[in-house]
Amino acid sequence: MSAATTTLLDVDLEVERRDVIVRAGFALTNGQRLAIFGTSGAGKTTILESIAGLTHLSRGTVRIDGRLVAGRTKGESPLAPRDRQVALVRQPTTLFPHLTVEQNVAYGIRRSPARGRVAELLDRLGLTLLARARAAALSGGQRQRVALGRALASPFRVLLLDEPLSAVDVAAHEALRVLAAETVDEREAAGILVTHDLTEAQAFGGQLGIIDGGRLLQLGGAHEVVLSPVSRRVAELVGYGGFVPVPAATDRWFAIHPDRILLGAAPERGVILTGTVLSTRPFGPRYECVVAERCGEQFTVHVDEPPDAGVECTVTALDPPVVAA
Amino acid sequence: MKTTAPAGNLAATGVVPGFPTATRIVARGSTALALLGALAIWLALLGPFAVLIQHLSFHSIRAALGPPGALDALWVSLGASASALGAMVLLGTPLAYLLARGRLPLARLVELGIILPLMMPPLVIGLLLIFLIGPQGTLGNLLADIHLTGTNTFFALIVAEFYEAAPFYVLGAHAAFASVDPRIEQDATLLGDRPLKAFRRITLPLSAPGLATGLATAWARAMGAFGAVIIIAYYPRGLPNQIFIAFQEFGLSGSLPFALLLIVAALPLPILAYLWSARTRARVAGTETP
Repeated sequence: MSAATTTLLDVDLEVERRDVIVRAGFALTNGQRLAIFGTSGAGKTTILESIAGLTHLSRGTVRIDGRLVAGRTKGESPLAPRDRQVALVRQPTTLFPHLTVEQNVAYGIRRSPARGRVAELLDRLGLTLLARARAAALSGGQRQRVALGRALASPFRVLLLDEPLSAVDVAAHEALRVLAAETVDEREAAGILVTHDLTEAQAFGGQLGIIDGGRLLQLGGAHEVVLSPVSRRVAELVGYGGFVPVPAATDRWFAIHPDRILLGAAPERGVILTGTVLSTRPFGPRYECVVAERCGEQFTVHVDEPPDAGVECTVTALDPPVVAA
Repeated sequence: MKTTAPAGNLAATGVVPGFPTATRIVARGSTALALLGALAIWLALLGPFAVLIQHLSFHSIRAALGPPGALDALWVSLGASASALGAMVLLGTPLAYLLARGRLPLARLVELGIILPLMMPPLVIGLLLIFLIGPQGTLGNLLADIHLTGTNTFFALIVAEFYEAAPFYVLGAHAAFASVDPRIEQDATLLGDRPLKAFRRITLPLSAPGLATGLATAWARAMGAFGAVIIIAYYPRGLPNQIFIAFQEFGLSGSLPFALLLIVAALPLPILAYLWSARTRARVAGTETP
């Protein structure tokens, strides 16, 4: 069997934006999900719109089930938008303002039997009572639910989600995430979520990609990328709050994650750090302390009991990854 | 001097801290002035209508419009304006859409070409049209080959009305299409619509209020077109021309009944279009429940 038949989505693209050149290359198979995490302006939306074939590629191609969706190759022209089987949830949300919630959700359904699914979908999205409301009258969170529903109801092979829950109440995130993931699995489709919220990205399941300055810096398992960042920049992006030089190695640092810390010295669990507490502030139910290590570098730790500023403390960083610049 | 109320007593005084009393007086004064100005303009604009009603008697209307053939000018005007409007919709809609989506090369130049007839005195347009489509003109010769004459014919009247009215429709349609987010058109095509179907399901309903307003304005302009018409299409006699001739032959009292007829024939469509588009806009904006 050739690679083209097992790979659902094949992305190898380059887009020249005014501020940055966005490059990305990855492939997804049936039922696979990928979350792309990065800061604003990193190129997340550009990647999604390119996969949907809505952006001009300066190089490369995007293929879905082996068929060209974006880019140029000899003797092959990209599929028309209606044949791409791509569902895109945009940020900010784009709905059809003159249609009702129900009409918006059902917009992409071509066969009438699938319409029975709309009622069920509206129920799971918490939109049943709003089914007949016009889209223009909805709040931001409601609009995002409708946009998600419209995408999930359509016969997609690739689901593209651009910060789809940013305005939805946090309490509803889990249910909507499960709904999206389930739908991707049921259809044996591929799903890509882009977000600037790491927790959201990890919760989507599957692969995690870290993007910065238009480049996909690392791609791997959702937990693996956070535990083993390949560079100092990736470590910074996924929440490492300090870098302590590795003794007797140049340009190598232990990346210290504020939540992967034990108080006291436990040599068998990781690297022991000693320093002075510079400041302490509340952090959710815990406290965040900034500590100056003996070598002069600072790192942050999250602790249950707040130490006083100026106190000397010893902590163990649990198996800190070693990163290069 | 104290210009703001003490913070503890805000509810009682209704004064917002930080906004001095003098500012509020100026604000109230300028609101009153604006309202007064709006009323004055409204009354001034309605003035001519009041005068028209005041100077018309039932007798004079019957005397002018009663004789057989007196309404011919009305039918000519209605027919020519409807034809000009049909041509505008057919030719102007795709042009306006492509302009709004930035898909035309030299868009600025194209836009200028549309606006130019608006800036030209209609009388001058009429003179230039004679050179263009008159019997001696280049296009006139081509028209003769298909048995069309560019002066003093029903066709010439349509052309003259088109020149005076089409820019209003194209510019209105351009604005209407530009107000529709192209991304939601893309969404519709990604959800399975062919481009024409997306246009019918999404673009057209959303731009309909603006299109209706543009069309209504163009209709009123076409019905009232006179400057270019009197040069290139003195015959067949449309309503504006009829008013002018009656004025010359019988004076004010003879022309007023035709003026009333023109208003009655030209205005209802724009008024209805305006009311409909205002309602539709409110519905799409979500301020009215379906």
